[in-house]
This record gives sequence, C-alpha cells and structure tokens, in this order.
Amino acid sequence: MSHTLHRCGAPEDLKKDFVVFSMSAKTVNARGSGEKMKRFFEILHRFPATNFGDVKTGSRYNADWQTIHDRFRDQSVAHYVFTDRDTVAQALRELREADLGLSVIVSGDFTEIEAICREVGLPVHTVQFSGGVLGRTDRLPPGPVLAITTMCGHGLVSARLVEKLAREVKRGKKEASAAAAELARPCMCGVFNVERAERLLREIAARRET
Amino acid sequence: MRIDPDRCIRCGECVALCPMNAIRLVPRDPASGRAAHAAIDRDECVECGVCFRSRVCPEEAIGEEELAWPRILRKAFSDPVFTHPGTDIPGRGTEEMKTNDVTGRFRPGFIGIGLEFGRPGIGTRLREAEAAIRRLLPLGVVLEPNNPLTQLIADPATGALKPEVRDEKVLSAIVEAIVPEEAFGRILEEVRAIAAEADTVISVGVIGKAGADGRVPAAEAMRRAGLTPSGNGKVNVGLGRPLYPF
Repeated sequence: MSHTLHRCGAPEDLKKDFVVFSMSAKTVNARGSGEKMKRFFEILHRFPATNFGDVKTGSRYNADWQTIHDRFRDQSVAHYVFTDRDTVAQALRELREADLGLSVIVSGDFTEIEAICREVGLPVHTVQFSGGVLGRTDRLPPGPVLAITTMCGHGLVSARLVEKLAREVKRGKKEASAAAAELARPCMCGVFNVERAERLLREIAARRET
Repeated sequence: MRIDPDRCIRCGECVALCPMNAIRLVPRDPASGRAAHAAIDRDECVECGVCFRSRVCPEEAIGEEELAWPRILRKAFSDPVFTHPGTDIPGRGTEEMKTNDVTGRFRPGFIGIGLEFGRPGIGTRLREAEAAIRRLLPLGVVLEPNNPLTQLIADPATGALKPEVRDEKVLSAIVEAIVPEEAFGRILEEVRAIAAEADTVISVGVIGKAGADGRVPAAEAMRRAGLTPSGNGKVNVGLGRPLYPF
C-alpha cells in the first residue's frame, strides 16, 4: 500500500502537494487506535486543507467531516492533503505535542519534508522513494493527465475521465473547480489534491486543440 | 460489475469513469432486437467498484455481483474499500514503512523493494507479477509474507502462483521484498530485465531506514544502481509508540 507515493508532475507543482496521514500497526498498537485516530483528525481539521478522508467512508467529496470522523475504528487510516509546507510544519508541531502514539507519515517534496522535520524537531525515521515507472511506459497517458491520475494511488481516477472533463472545461461547459471536484470522487482515501487538479485541468484545457 | 441492458438508456455517462476502459457502448443487435446499451467487458473489468459507487447511472442499471473464487481476487486487489482478509487492511499492499517506527520491519542494512505491476493506470494480469517472483527468488529475495500476492504462491520454491489465479486482471499487484543493501544493485538489474519483457508498467518503490545523522542509505544505493530517487517521497516521522528499539 503505497497509495501516496509515485505522484508525477513538475517539481514546482509537487511542492504544493503534501499528504499527512496516520496509521496504527496491526501487531503493535492497533487496539484502541480508533479514538486516537479521531483525535488526529480533529487536530488536522484546524488547518486549511484541500481534501481529507478515510477509505472506508470516503473523502470530503463523498461524505461530510463529522461522518468520516465518527466512523473511525481501530486500524482506520486518516488522511489530510495540504498545499503549503508551512501548514504541514504547524500541523506536525501539534501532532508532536499531542503525542498520540500512532505512526504519522508525510508524503511530498522530500527536501521540504526534511527541512520541516528539522524545524519541528521530528526525525526522518524511515523513507520511501519512487524509482519511477519501468516497462510499457508507451501505454501511459500524457504527462499532465498522468499528474492528475497518479494523485489517486489506488488508480481509481480514469485518464479518460480527465480528458473528458478537460474538454468540457475547454468548451466552457464546466468550471475547472467543478471538474476537479468530480475527479476527486472516485478517490476514496481523500488523498487527491483538488487544488492541484484544478490547475492541471486548466493547463490541459489550454493546450488542447479541440 | 454488471450493467443491466434492459435498464440502461445508453446515456454514456459511465463510460469515461472506468479506470480500465472496460465499459463500451454496444449498438442495437438486429438479430435479438436488443436495444443499444452500455456493457462491461468482464475480462477487462477489475471489480474496482468505481462505476457502481459513482451513482452516475440515472437508471441504477450498474450493479455489483456475487464474486466467486478466483474472480474475487480482482476486487481484493483493485477495490481499496474491500479489506483483504490476509492483511486486514484495505488495498493490495501492507503497512510496509508506514508503521516502521513501531514494527522495525525495515532495519539498517536492508532495503525494501516494492514492484507495483500495473500502476499507474494500466492494470495487470497476476501472471506478470508471477514472472517477476520466479526470477527474483533465485537471487535470495525474501518476499513480504503478509502481502496478498505472496499469499497466492502455490510453490514457495519456484514462486509459482496457484494456476487458477494467473489470468485474473487487477488494477495493480505489488511484489514486496526486503533485501540486503549490498544485493540491491544486482536485484535492480534483474528488475530491469523483468520490465523489458513485461506487457504492463511497473512502479518501483524503495524503502530504507534513515540514520541518526539523517542519511538515507537506500537513496545512495538507488543512485549507485543508476536509479534516481524521486524528488517527492514518503516519510515516517517517528511518532508511533512504543518505538521499536533499532
């Protein structure tokens, strides 16, 4: 489950794309973790976020915050998506103070995360890097489309849907913000960065010939 | 998944939603007189549930089916809402590095490798991952026992999967392993050879414990092997308790 890794795109764009999430370990600290997960979700709720969710209930585009919160159980995984590094730093500072005892993971620009950890006084404990895509890369959609679809690491956002909605934005049939929200719905974990999708949709629509 | 042809009004709203491009509009069949409708190609469908959950169909013609073995594997690997009975967590993977601060799964001197077949967005037959497992095991690679793919291996000596599961299509399946740091370069060579013969894409993930000085030996091993670590990564920030005593 590396659902927040392998996000593609321009480095500058990826600097506005952070996922902060939490998980308990089945064999170590899962028992009683549901209440702690609710607390995690409450803490992050104080910060401006572009998306949040839990795969069992859905993202903010599938359910309201309270419903997602109330359904956390032991072994739930809560996610928040932020678009700037200072918010991530503040959120981590509060999580450190809260000392919930759950594992916390941050996905995003690695240099920024390293710097945030130093500022906040947290270790870079374990790291996962993407080594890119091998094999039949000729079968992949164009870069900006891939940048959108890879924001759902479970692969639930279809490239064809991105292209269809980009056409509708281009023709003025749909606002880019509404199209981005539509793309967020299949991604149940809530790790889909909707603000970034909106920017990318505008970019695709601007380049599209027809 | 299935679409009831008698309820479908051929509006086409569901077609673009499918991540596997498995929904098509079928023209009217003059022989049977059946009207034009949307249909799901069952061989290409991975049972991810996107079309059903979207509630996009105005006639509620899209429905889920009771899935028997081995088709149920499509759902287990492709629908993150479905919790795999082998891992007890949603999705096709494991906790991997996300809980390493408390489990100690990835220790200094070792590197975690995740080869995700079918990602991004192409999908894979399980036999593609099987071919990789068969080639990696002779190199001394130890597979993650909790990974749902590992649990489908019929012969641990060769890595052969249960024969009936090989042709099942899934959104993605991850070959997860932990290898000694010094073996990483040789294993990556083999991964490149596997990728050259694959009919799908493979997203490569590399995991490593950081040192107290912040150094990440796994990133250095990647560079030595000619694999550039991505600028964006995933970091466990060590807030889990009780901390594993590394």
